Amino acid sequence: MPGNVMNIASSNIVWIVAFFVMGVVIFQAIMFMNIAKKAAPDAGLTPTEVSRAIRTGFISSLGPSFGIAIVIVSLIALLGPPITMMRIGIIGSAATETAAAHIGAKAFGVELGGAGFTEKAFATVVWTMCLGGMGWLLVTFLFTKSLGKAEKAIRRKNPKAVASISLAAMLGAFGYLASEQMLKGLGFFFAGIASLGIMIICMSIAEKKNISWLREWSLGISMVCGMIAGTMVIALT
Amino acid sequence: MSMSQEVVRTASKAKPEPVSSSMTRFHEQSHFWGRLTILLVMIASVGLPMYLSFVLGAHPGWGAIFAGLLGYAAFIGVLWIVEPVTYFPILGIGGTYIAFLSGNIANLCVPCSSAAQKAVGAELGTQKAEIAGVLGIALASLTNTIIIILTVLGGTFIVNLIPASIQQSFVFVLPAIFGAVLGQFAFSKPKYGVMAVLIGIGVFFSPIPSLIKIASCVAISIAVIYNVEKAKDKKANG
Repeated sequence: MPGNVMNIASSNIVWIVAFFVMGVVIFQAIMFMNIAKKAAPDAGLTPTEVSRAIRTGFISSLGPSFGIAIVIVSLIALLGPPITMMRIGIIGSAATETAAAHIGAKAFGVELGGAGFTEKAFATVVWTMCLGGMGWLLVTFLFTKSLGKAEKAIRRKNPKAVASISLAAMLGAFGYLASEQMLKGLGFFFAGIASLGIMIICMSIAEKKNISWLREWSLGISMVCGMIAGTMVIALT
Repeated sequence: MSMSQEVVRTASKAKPEPVSSSMTRFHEQSHFWGRLTILLVMIASVGLPMYLSFVLGAHPGWGAIFAGLLGYAAFIGVLWIVEPVTYFPILGIGGTYIAFLSGNIANLCVPCSSAAQKAVGAELGTQKAEIAGVLGIALASLTNTIIIILTVLGGTFIVNLIPASIQQSFVFVLPAIFGAVLGQFAFSKPKYGVMAVLIGIGVFFSPIPSLIKIASCVAISIAVIYNVEKAKDKKANG
């Protein structure tokens, strides 16, 4: 990125907007934690279970979050620190944002970070990423209420249907995501299989011996084992 | 007193879970705070490029901006609608607002939601699962946001906390996450787990456009499981 463009990309106002966005995301998470805690007793969660759910969320998020952190390092050079923070902090993955940045640069008629990547080209990139990412926000903003109403209508008619629909959606999505990843290569295959197997082992031990900490750690443990298995398979072949 | 308790008990048996007033209140609050926070981020998302264009004078012209947006929409715009609808049955109202603001739905939010639900022994589709899931996702969003801020501020410092040899194994982070989530269900519902993988592989090799492959798997699984459960109920009742 040319120096004058980098100056704009890391100017104070850009930092302020980026921190504002991150602040909103943090505020939202804390707010939802509070209102969920208030609804917890009537939903059948004891105070112990509330802290267990919170602890599990925290433990389980560490692995995936570091996975995300490793990928964004390359984006920082491409977009500058504050824009990277703002774009990755809200909806839009590193892959999506990288593609969007290339699309934006192309729309201006230059290569990303190449010759002729002026302030205006940079502005086109930011416009593209911000407006493109807004699609999900707008749909969520406008239609989550209707989706909630639809769910309520189904629940009124047939309460059991809601449970089987959400189970089916979960299985459908992750059946596909896991298959797609595991078909990518030998390492990926064994990473997925190992993780799946360790999860089953963790859960059956936790169930039999009633070990609650194992339930909290099972996602983290399975993930790490899967990653080790994949790496070992690659090293051995 | 005991009479009324008895009535409540039988009533709750016929209708497994009447939506309690505190749950209704939770949904109302979710809509309010969810929409407010998303609105604020949308304003910032327009405000930042506006600032570059009209305060710093780097306006590239509406033609270029429109071309960029059109390119983006052609690339991935279908997901703007498909993803919120596909994941709603999993995330619920509160979870949708958090997950679609902070992103990383499949690789972070849903796994954390599901892990939290399993940790408290909540069955999907119940109010208990909904609240436990929201707590899991809220924590996921919080952790992820803080790690992103630290990574951007500290540069490579945070990432270098992880030894280089281990960093390489993060290539396999996605199959490991997805395998683990699948394992949670393979444990409690092994038949459905196998079925989900078969549907997944079938759709993977099918000519269905890749952007709607997940949505297709979800639709197929809903159709199959809904009918299987219905048949089971009929058998049990008749």
